[in-house]
Amino acid sequence: MLSKMEMESQSNYRKSMRMKMGFNFYDVFVAVFCVGFALLCFYPMWYVLLGSITPYSDFSKTTIPVLPPLVPDFSYYGAILKTGVFYNALTVSFAKTLFAASLSVLLTATMAYAVSKTHVRGMPTINWLVILTMFFSGGLIPNYMLVKELGMLNTFWGLTLPWLLGATNFIIMRNYFVAAIPQDLEEAAKIDGANDITVFFRVIVPLSKPTMAAVFLFEAVSQWNDWYSYLIYAQREPMLKPLVWVLKEMLTDPAASAGASGSNIYQMSRDLAAFPPMGLKMTTIILSMLPIILFYPFLQKYFVKGILIGAVKG
Amino acid sequence: MKEAQGKKLGLQTSLKKHWFIYLLVLPGLLYVLLFRYVPMYGILIAFQDYRPRRGVLGSDFVGFKHFINLFSDPYFFKVIWNTFIINVYGIVFGFTFTIFLALMLNELMSSKLKRVLQTLVYLPNFLSWIIFGGIIILFLSPSEGLVNGIIKAFGGKETYFLIEQDYFRTIVTVTNIIKNAGFGTIIYLAALASVDQQQYESATIDGANRRHMMLHITLPAIYPTIAVMLLMNLAGIFSANFEHIYTLYNPLVYETGDVIPTYLYRMGLEKGEYEISTAVSLVFNIIGLITLVIANKIIKKMNVVGIV
Repeated sequence: MLSKMEMESQSNYRKSMRMKMGFNFYDVFVAVFCVGFALLCFYPMWYVLLGSITPYSDFSKTTIPVLPPLVPDFSYYGAILKTGVFYNALTVSFAKTLFAASLSVLLTATMAYAVSKTHVRGMPTINWLVILTMFFSGGLIPNYMLVKELGMLNTFWGLTLPWLLGATNFIIMRNYFVAAIPQDLEEAAKIDGANDITVFFRVIVPLSKPTMAAVFLFEAVSQWNDWYSYLIYAQREPMLKPLVWVLKEMLTDPAASAGASGSNIYQMSRDLAAFPPMGLKMTTIILSMLPIILFYPFLQKYFVKGILIGAVKG
Repeated sequence: MKEAQGKKLGLQTSLKKHWFIYLLVLPGLLYVLLFRYVPMYGILIAFQDYRPRRGVLGSDFVGFKHFINLFSDPYFFKVIWNTFIINVYGIVFGFTFTIFLALMLNELMSSKLKRVLQTLVYLPNFLSWIIFGGIIILFLSPSEGLVNGIIKAFGGKETYFLIEQDYFRTIVTVTNIIKNAGFGTIIYLAALASVDQQQYESATIDGANRRHMMLHITLPAIYPTIAVMLLMNLAGIFSANFEHIYTLYNPLVYETGDVIPTYLYRMGLEKGEYEISTAVSLVFNIIGLITLVIANKIIKKMNVVGIV
């Protein structure tokens, strides 16, 4: 990460460079390249957003839509928000995200803290047990058979429990406990008469809140985006469809694309049959992106940090 | 970190003294054992004629029958080749593009513009492949999509991009770049931030121009990071992003687009060939493990940060 001083010296250097060089072809190329790629990343999303708020007759006439309509049309949103399937999927996605991310943080943090105590017998072995799971797993079918034997197929548990406690987040938390919390602090607390329990709840938990928040965000984003669990473990239970899966069905079901009712997604409401499928798809895309966009400022900050800590796994 | 005293404690005394630490580790440990280690016994079915009613322990062992069948199936080699070649595209185009993008972002004069652009290029990384893939599908749609709209505006004929075998790998490579290259620059930008700024100043005095400085100061500064990332990419040459391919592919492009994870999903859960699917997992799990261990050894030898 950039320290403040480095950043300052870099920007000073930049300023002095600019004064020396002025405006030249090189800078133009760099800026055009970067802006061009950023537009390539951003425009598809913008296009979809425009498609969701522009009446289809206008939208289909413009080849490359750029500006939103003067009066945005929210009728797609109104239609989708009225359907039961959408609400059900939204509830599943939120419940899955909150439950799995919280439980995962709880398991990861307690385990990582214990394992950071390398002098306690057995902890280094447990550390390796977790790390090994990064490199070797039973595979699709053995995992499926376990979930089946536990009776979790097509239940909320099958949708949430199989992918908690990721090794990367475990490493991030463990390294944090090893490096960022001074050993002296714990010892000082112990001299003052605190036992392991008070140290953990009064010293460790308050100090590690930011890291736990970061790990919570990592887990929450992957849970929100996850549909693999549904595909593998819960596909026989339509009530457990997460939002992204409803979107997937909408996008790939040819009958749905043709606007035919009776196919998977259009069973959700006859009202939707009156709307052009493209607009409905775009609106569903925007709705399923919304939570990510709302939290994006936090996400960006924490994920950048996470990548950098994760890179130094030590 | 090691305390001599801790090593000497017997298990019972250790349990008594550190009971709270053991209590904390217990839920996580049970979880890992149950959900990560218990399934490993299921690998046995790769060597069996598995009968669900008789269970893993009751089914007959058939040795390497499934592996032999697998490796005598030409389609399986096609799947391996697809996986391999898509990864090669990823390294030749995606990997190099990410580095180039990082260099370009680093060269941007205005730090405000840089921040805005970083925000934009990181964004796709946070979206599910279904959402991002969905956007791509709409974009490429033959009847209503923007790309075909442009083609038609220039008098061309509409193209069914996603059912065309010849386009599939290109689409996978390009979409992967758009979704992940921005976020991939983070690690390089971090390495670049620690380059000693005085080097640039003295180079300026020596009369070097910006392009020279980029090639001779900036780029060499990230060689170690590039080497590590390249090794990681090479270690994953037989792996693929299931969600990426699964979102975009369809039976018409299996010929060029079916990869190992999608193949073992279809074999296992759609066709119910549990043994074949498990055999495929096992083979590539072992290949992945070996290449990763080798890559990590090399990285450690290079004296940069290791992965574990």
